[in-house]
Amino acid sequence: MKRLAVLAAAALVVAAACGSGKSIISAGRQPPVATQPAPVTLPPGETLPVGQTLPPAETTIAPTTTAALLDTLPQCPTDALASATGPVQLTFWHGMSGPLNDALQQLTDTYNAGQSKVKVTLIQGTYEQTIDKYLQSGQSSRPDLVQMPEYMVQSMVDSKSVVPVEACMKSSGFDSSAFLPTGLAAYATQGVQWSMPFNISNPVLYYNKRMFKVAGLDPEKPPVSLDDLRADSQAIVTSGAAKYGLALDSGFDSGGGWYIEQWFAKAGEFYADNQNGRSARATQVLYNNPTGQSLLTFMQSMLTDGLAVNVGDNATTGFDNLLKLGDANEPAAMTIATSASTGTVINVLGSGQFPQITNADVGVAAMPGPGGKPGALVGGGSLWVVDSGDAARTAAAWDFITYLTGAQQQSQWASVTGYVPVRTDALTLDPLKTKLATDPRYKVPYDQLLASPDVPTSVGPILGPLREVRTVTAQAVAAIFGGADVATSLAAAVQQANALIADYNARNG
Amino acid sequence: MKKKWRELPIAVGMLAPSAVILGLFVVYPLVRAIQLGHLRCDATGKRCRDGGWGQYIDVFRSNEFQHALANTARLALMTVPIGLALGVGLAVLADKQIRGIGFFRTVFSSTVATSVAVASLIWFVLLQPEIGVLPNLFHGIIPSLKQPGLLRDPATALPAVALSSIWASLGFTFIVITAALQGIPRELYESAYVDGAGGWMRFSNVTLPMLGPTILFTSVVLTTRAFQSYAEVALLTGGGPDPQRPTQTLPYLIYGQNSLVKNDIGLKSAAAVLLFFVLLVLAFVQFRGLDKRVHYGS
Repeated sequence: MKRLAVLAAAALVVAAACGSGKSIISAGRQPPVATQPAPVTLPPGETLPVGQTLPPAETTIAPTTTAALLDTLPQCPTDALASATGPVQLTFWHGMSGPLNDALQQLTDTYNAGQSKVKVTLIQGTYEQTIDKYLQSGQSSRPDLVQMPEYMVQSMVDSKSVVPVEACMKSSGFDSSAFLPTGLAAYATQGVQWSMPFNISNPVLYYNKRMFKVAGLDPEKPPVSLDDLRADSQAIVTSGAAKYGLALDSGFDSGGGWYIEQWFAKAGEFYADNQNGRSARATQVLYNNPTGQSLLTFMQSMLTDGLAVNVGDNATTGFDNLLKLGDANEPAAMTIATSASTGTVINVLGSGQFPQITNADVGVAAMPGPGGKPGALVGGGSLWVVDSGDAARTAAAWDFITYLTGAQQQSQWASVTGYVPVRTDALTLDPLKTKLATDPRYKVPYDQLLASPDVPTSVGPILGPLREVRTVTAQAVAAIFGGADVATSLAAAVQQANALIADYNARNG
Repeated sequence: MKKKWRELPIAVGMLAPSAVILGLFVVYPLVRAIQLGHLRCDATGKRCRDGGWGQYIDVFRSNEFQHALANTARLALMTVPIGLALGVGLAVLADKQIRGIGFFRTVFSSTVATSVAVASLIWFVLLQPEIGVLPNLFHGIIPSLKQPGLLRDPATALPAVALSSIWASLGFTFIVITAALQGIPRELYESAYVDGAGGWMRFSNVTLPMLGPTILFTSVVLTTRAFQSYAEVALLTGGGPDPQRPTQTLPYLIYGQNSLVKNDIGLKSAAAVLLFFVLLVLAFVQFRGLDKRVHYGS
């Protein structure tokens, strides 16, 4: 046994001595990526008018206009469905689970039963499983239709495996005037509409109205600015209404990553260069600036002053911060979480098993942000037509998309799930109309999205490795929550994020 | 000689099923992984550039791999000795012919029927700081159960994962050791008893040496299991807590949802192949290091 321990220790020492001090990302790359020709970039902070693009970098094929780019992409012959013989079998990979999966299945069943041209089969997984599976599949094993989360836009464009929905819209003369412009813009880049928004969400504030009352605050006036957030938390803690005012988390898909992008949009600033990667490929993230630093300094001081509690990286459940509202012994009165779970949050926290909160006590409000400015970025997922090379299947996929994003279906979908409907006319139809009238809490994410100013910073970042960039950003946020220096931590994260972007661009450019 | 050749078709036919299955599910993926491990590919893994065999060295020496290797080794050093000691201890305790021992044997071996996922969820429900059972019962006595919580404190996260892992594999260890105990000839104990050996003497001079081969086998299995820890990490900590990530094991680095290389087929293949070699070396070291001390009987 002793000998084994010695051998193991020796092996560890040897292994440790082997360390190169470099990131795994730089493996197998000689010479390093930095020697590439510099791409065309906008200086940080500068903008182009919405819809315009930078002249392409010299390395790309030819100076093309945006219309020409669409012509070079796979076509969408939407009339091919009419001439198809027999029902077209469609496979749709999606990332909806639990009640969301049930709702999607119900919509699909209705579609399958209502016509005989197309039969859709759903394949369910998590977003992450769907992404893995999709990226590793060859053309023959890919589905006809896939749902991808908002952080996948650039990767999907780079996969060169899709038919842009704009081709289908043009070919079928589709009327998109009822769609939320911000919803469409989130899935457009290089002047092309790539995918169709289907399930839109954004972060909102969940709070316990009863604790607001106990603390002497107006439960119908939740905090709007960060200063409000601090003042209300102070009142809650001082009055003893709850142990903490706010539950903070450093998850990549929440407090550590996604919200940072949201807060930058609220502040009217870009998160990444080249207009958040929309006018040309982004080359760097910009969050180590006064806005980012003051934002994280604010969060850090909330924690050190005992006004907020850190629930950690939220890695396993994804809703540890929401559970803090239901904590029997040391609860928090507020937290920020995605609107996609509004229904679940109200049902679980309001189920009666948590003594300090009932259904009526669950408050939902717009996400507080710097200066109290309104607005939010589009989160959630969109529908992508996969290039199968088969005209009938492409046309059938488009037919199913027009069904899923139809006004009546969106009304049904949004009322069951809590997602923001992708079109305004869905709000005038039942069941959503009645639902929003009886419980206005479900309208908060919609109003918040519509309040976004019509400026380029209101369209979120698309980076090839956005998922990984969020992960390294979340590491910095976790360190800052743990007491590390704000500027140093952000600088380290920016460096890692930029290395990830450079590596991705080198492999996918 | 002639006869041997005549039997060849039969031999091939008999071997074919297992050869096909092994080839398809073990050899082909391994060869493919080794081949992918020196490539850097685009997001779809289709357009690749050769990073050279040096890519394996780069991956091995990278901060992330070294960090995950050290975490995994720490996990193994916790789970293997403690798991073995508890398994042997419980098996020896349950090896008595007394009334009701069957109940205890069932209890001790019950975790063998529990999947790692279920075991991890049980521990998660026990330890989760907000709604978990233990933090809400004992937060007055041990405040750190509540804030930050065992799974969220960088100092205790790995031991907490190890606890769940040890618990989950205890049933397996118990059953294997119990079976070996029953194979030890009773005469050995009787003659030791006649020679005046006490309980401890009989345990250390008869039981332990006779258990040697089984302990060696179990330690190799437990070590391999520790180096393949994925489910408990994914369910209990997600490789966290950030930013130290003390529970990011090698399998989690390769496949976990918070890993930087999870969508990079080249780098994650390289890391997986390296994990295979690390385990190969470890098993070799264990067999060489322990084999000489093991008594296989005559």
